[in-house]
Amino acid sequence: MTSSETIDLVEDRALDPVGLGSGLTARQVSAWFGEHKVLDRVTLAMPPNQVTALIGPSGCGKSTFLRILNRMHELVPGATLSGTVAINDIDIYRSGLLVTDVRRRIGMVFQKPNPFPAMSVAENVLSGLKLSRHRSRRHDPADLVERCLRRAGLWNEVKQRLGTPGGALSGGQQQRLCIARALAVQPEILLMDEPCSALDPTSTRRIEETIAELREQVTIVIVTHNMQQAQRVSQYCAFFLAEENAPGRIVEQGPTDKIFSAPDDPRTFDYVSGQFG
Amino acid sequence: MTRTTELLRRDDGVVEVPGDPAVEERIAVREFQGSDAIELLGCAFGAFCLTWLVYERLTPLSGGLGFFVSWYALFLAAVWFVVRDRLGPLEARDRLARVVVASVALGLLIPLGLIVGYTFARGFHALRPQFFVQDQSRVGPLSPATEGGGSAGIVGSLEMVGLATLMSVPLGILTAVFLNEIGGRLARPVRMIVDAMSAIPSIVAGLFIYAAFILALHQRQTGFAAALSLAVLMLPTVTRTAEVVLRLVPGGLREASLALGGTEWSTVRRVVLPTARTGLLTAVILGVARVIGETAPLILTALGNTSLNANPLKGNQDALPLMIYRLIRFPQTASIERAWTGALVLLGIVLVLFIVARLLGGRGPGHIGRIKRYRLARKGLA
Repeated sequence: MTSSETIDLVEDRALDPVGLGSGLTARQVSAWFGEHKVLDRVTLAMPPNQVTALIGPSGCGKSTFLRILNRMHELVPGATLSGTVAINDIDIYRSGLLVTDVRRRIGMVFQKPNPFPAMSVAENVLSGLKLSRHRSRRHDPADLVERCLRRAGLWNEVKQRLGTPGGALSGGQQQRLCIARALAVQPEILLMDEPCSALDPTSTRRIEETIAELREQVTIVIVTHNMQQAQRVSQYCAFFLAEENAPGRIVEQGPTDKIFSAPDDPRTFDYVSGQFG
Repeated sequence: MTRTTELLRRDDGVVEVPGDPAVEERIAVREFQGSDAIELLGCAFGAFCLTWLVYERLTPLSGGLGFFVSWYALFLAAVWFVVRDRLGPLEARDRLARVVVASVALGLLIPLGLIVGYTFARGFHALRPQFFVQDQSRVGPLSPATEGGGSAGIVGSLEMVGLATLMSVPLGILTAVFLNEIGGRLARPVRMIVDAMSAIPSIVAGLFIYAAFILALHQRQTGFAAALSLAVLMLPTVTRTAEVVLRLVPGGLREASLALGGTEWSTVRRVVLPTARTGLLTAVILGVARVIGETAPLILTALGNTSLNANPLKGNQDALPLMIYRLIRFPQTASIERAWTGALVLLGIVLVLFIVARLLGGRGPGHIGRIKRYRLARKGLA
């Protein structure tokens, strides 16, 4: 990271009063697809300004849980859930918060980079403001584009081609563009669903650095299959597991150091040491 | 072979190939080479000779179609034997399939070429500039074909199709959005009705407007009534094509938009429709192509007119297909020639419309146009 970027980050925080981050708490969350139960009473606190990693083998409900956190779960036909999810003690499912407001406050980055192909790089960054009709009057668009791209660690690579289509970037750049797009609406919490699984090691490292920088302003929840990544980026860790023919649940959760060095549950030990899964 | 594998490693670690030429020789990796073309031509020629021998010398067979079919069959057999001999049965089967597919594709071009060519040959004679500016009101039974023109039909056709497009495209695209983005229990019956609509004979669409608009609402036959009947015909084509196109928009984009706090409508308007722009344009083109040559509904709703009437809301209006239908039934050669010229102009209009449509919005979603780029640059975003 260059020194000019450091200065920008400091300024960012001064400009962003929202940048304190918010906590997210899930209590007794269960989820179904039709009659099929996929999550069983998951309780997890995701404290402000920390990176929480969700780990576990495929099909154990990590992604479903993540999608419940910003009300994307209900987009699947036949999907239902129970329990409570609260952002700063306000229940996002029952308190009358608009679903669009919930999703704007709790941003999401998907496994597959999905910039809008009909928009340029700059328009992609600003798309969230247009889509949610949430206009920020404090900054002019060009300034906002630059700040978000800087925070996502992409500015230096694309500043000469803000007018090119978003789909023309490389995979790693597209994913960082998606991060910048998610940041432009100033979310308090950012959910990431295996953001690096389609990327090469260099892009992965770049995104991990971005996550570490963002933690200062945003609360991050990340799903990952990569144990080293979970160890590198997260402070808190939850291990999901679905026993045979049973819904997924959290087997163990705790500070990342403890989960990886001295887990209580033998299944956690087996998983993090690579003996199964 | 050995020469290229003898690599020299210099002291500084660079690998050198001896005899390294300054310009690399590229390998032409083409599946279809010159020798294959000669082989095919040889097979075609041999098959032709054999067929000729059988038809003209050995048997009392005759008839052009039979000759052609026998020639083609013998040609395929020859291709199969020759390729099998050279490359084996697997390759022979592959080549045979390729030849059949290619010849069918070429065969489809024949009727198209004949239609365009014949229309051109018959209609070109009377195609003069005045065809675009004059109408048929001063044309007498003995006037030559170069007198008078089809301006009434050209203006009428453009206005009717334009009005029909204005009515059916928004309706069709909104219906497609409903079927694809909202769906639910109503989607199935709606889709069924749209499918059923696409099977409506065009004369029935004309009758429907005649009964439900002209008779029931005490209207006259006008260009607007004709446009209504054309819109009825256009609607299912636009809807079904647009639906297929919208279905191709990746679901990940919708999710991304919703996850940013977008509403369903803003997702459709700012993400789904722009991404599908090229395909939606195809839907419009197919819809226009469906109706621009329609004659039957116009007979009941527009009635036709020998003089130019540019007002679609008042008075009878002419259209090119209607004009062709009217003129081609006269016994005078001049009249028939004028009809062919009208057909030629109709073909030309279709061609021009399609080219314009492609130029306006034919690029893929990943292309950012000049106007938009300029607008972005003014905001400092490009």
